[in-house]
Amino acid sequence: MSTVTTEAVRKTILVDFAPAEAFELFTAKITSWWPVRTHSYGGDGVMEVVLEPQVGGRLYEVTDGGEQDWGSVLAWDPPHRFLLDWQIGEAGGTEVEVRFSPERPGSRVELEHRGFSAADPRERYEGGWDVVLAPFVESASKNA
Amino acid sequence: MNTNGVVLDALGDSTRRSIFESLKAAPRSVGELAEGLPVSRPAVSQHLRVLKEAGLVSVVKDGTRRVYRIEPDALLPLRDYFDEFWTEALERFREAARKETG
Repeated sequence: MSTVTTEAVRKTILVDFAPAEAFELFTAKITSWWPVRTHSYGGDGVMEVVLEPQVGGRLYEVTDGGEQDWGSVLAWDPPHRFLLDWQIGEAGGTEVEVRFSPERPGSRVELEHRGFSAADPRERYEGGWDVVLAPFVESASKNA
Repeated sequence: MNTNGVVLDALGDSTRRSIFESLKAAPRSVGELAEGLPVSRPAVSQHLRVLKEAGLVSVVKDGTRRVYRIEPDALLPLRDYFDEFWTEALERFREAARKETG
């Protein structure tokens, strides 16, 4: 056992918005739809989610207590795709890629979350458990 | 308590994450793990028990030694957790990206 590859999470949805509009909603207007109650550090205390629109930009939540990073932008190609280092915590992380393409009624949105590899230390995931989900531990436990 | 909760709790402690990370490089005994960490052997044993109960590591015999190693499918529960995570998030997105008709 030297390499363990766990399949990526892949999701595809169709939405009414055209790609440019969908891309903007997903990124610039992420606060308007992101389910912060269950999908954040701060839960209902989250006032804003910010995705800075450029390579190297940060993805973070804003609460009364300040800002908390979720990740950073590795690739930025509006309105087609963006790639995030899904960082949450300290250095390193899994990757989340989101792609937008025209398809009736508006766009096909494809999301891939990859990097769930356990045993191969050569992969970039190394160093990464701090990453993973400290922030979601609490909500996962609550739902249990 | 569901499986994901157990896994996430097990990895919610920085020492346990360090132990898990060490075992990704190679299987190790309790003594070897304790040498590389600022915690006692009994503490390492305790952390290993939590990781083992969460299905993240297992113990095997190597000659006369007992060594701990990563479970090959250790990250499946986490992957499954994210599967649900994105399903929910994208459903919210799809609703937000809906055009009113009529």
